[in-house]
Amino acid sequence: MTKIEINDLKFTYPGDNFGLKIKHLTFSEGMIAIIGQNGAGKSTLLRLLSGLNQPDSGEITVEGQNLNDYIGDKRLERIGLTFQDPNDQIFNATVKKEVEWGLRQMDKSETEVERITEEVLQEVGLADKMDENPYDLSLSERKLLSIATVVAVRPKILLFDEPMMSLDWPSRKKITAIFRYLADRGHVVITITHDMDWVLEEYEDVYAMAHGELVYSGKTSEFFESPSLVEEVGVLLPKATEVKRELDRYLKEK
Amino acid sequence: MDANQQIVLDNLSVRYRGEDEEALKGISLTAKTGQIIGIIGNSRSGKTTLCDVLSGIIPNIVSSHVSGTVRLGEFSPFEAFDEYNFHTGVVLQNTAGQLSGLSDTVFDEIAFGLINQGMSEEEASKSVVRAACQMGLEDLLEQAPDTLSGGQTQRLAIASEIAFDPEFLIMDDPTSQMDPVGRKEFFEWLAGCSEKTIFIVSNEVDDLCEIADQLWVLEKGELIASGKPLDVINQVAEGHDLYLPVVYRMAKELGKKLPSGLFPVKLSELKGCFDDQN
Repeated sequence: MTKIEINDLKFTYPGDNFGLKIKHLTFSEGMIAIIGQNGAGKSTLLRLLSGLNQPDSGEITVEGQNLNDYIGDKRLERIGLTFQDPNDQIFNATVKKEVEWGLRQMDKSETEVERITEEVLQEVGLADKMDENPYDLSLSERKLLSIATVVAVRPKILLFDEPMMSLDWPSRKKITAIFRYLADRGHVVITITHDMDWVLEEYEDVYAMAHGELVYSGKTSEFFESPSLVEEVGVLLPKATEVKRELDRYLKEK
Repeated sequence: MDANQQIVLDNLSVRYRGEDEEALKGISLTAKTGQIIGIIGNSRSGKTTLCDVLSGIIPNIVSSHVSGTVRLGEFSPFEAFDEYNFHTGVVLQNTAGQLSGLSDTVFDEIAFGLINQGMSEEEASKSVVRAACQMGLEDLLEQAPDTLSGGQTQRLAIASEIAFDPEFLIMDDPTSQMDPVGRKEFFEWLAGCSEKTIFIVSNEVDDLCEIADQLWVLEKGELIASGKPLDVINQVAEGHDLYLPVVYRMAKELGKKLPSGLFPVKLSELKGCFDDQN
């Protein structure tokens, strides 16, 4: 079942030449990667999908209803967003309170709030930091915390801007497992990422943006096999692909 | 070896005030100056603490229980910190926090420290442009620092440090917010830094294996391996849950070893594996 549909979407920032233009796009449940250069419009698309910005024209519908029809906890149940910079969204005095905050907006019992908070902090590996001030955490731990706050609420649609940024190897595996778990249970997990190796390994399909438009949606493997597409989108090849190519070239020359 | 061309860490331990466990546990190492040293390890392994000691922040600015010796060439952060500080450049994990916050433009920010050191404006201006070009900031010199993206801010912090031309450069995860193209350019620049001694904490193990002379691997405050990337990666590949470079994993899949019996960790080594078969 399709969860999100975009039609004739147009958006410009006031006083800026940049414009986002998407004719038609649908996202359904699963893990979805959006790639593209800085300035391609990826984060803007995420802001529009979360309702932080309103389109100039066109429509975004979620489960057949206009995004703007969902307000209050109806919106929270549907959509959650994490920013690229965790400092943009963290504001509570302790790690625990930061995760509880979202849950408290949703009319859950106190025992529920506590249980979910502990569970999620366990999942991302921050259980032993529960009472610390988020600003005493390292950047990667703050990143994990910002992910935890959204995962705790379990919205239908989860939007992540560069979730893997600065994470170490065990954390990357944890986050991938959480995304996979949610995707397998009917959530739409949309992620902006610059990590092409991760995209190649974990995402069957990829959405590529350039100059405010969607220029490719389809199989990830086909995308990276097309030099013209990769060049148009302006991303680097996954390291695995690059090493393979270099090696093939070397062996051919011999 | 000339003591002035040696890096010595001897039984270095650090315990933060109010903590029971040591953040660094008896680290001992020697290395030559003029090398690129990559410091890797998972979260909470002590990488940032080691950076903070190498930069002198611990114990000169953040007080902690420190024991042991740290010496970079003729300088030690535990003895004459001012002099040590003068010869070292530091790029912190939170780069935005290390900018002066007083400059209207990127140019002024890079010039800030130089002018404060008493450099003439003409000379400072040359150093600013040179550093900005090395970090690809030449088109952003008139822009306000607070309008830069995360990756650009990191490049500004690096430019502000290399403008001094320090002998020792200590960087804590300096590319964490750069896009892939910016990261690639940074490591290309780093590969060309031949005279400086560079300590760099990074999760970009593939890049480090290509350019670093040494890798130091930390785990829960202990040094578990140090030496050439080839030896180190082969040593820690099993049993440590660390990211392993693409080349290493591919070689293993293909069953390609070097004559030494080790799996290659950089592209040129992998290519070499195929030469030996002919």
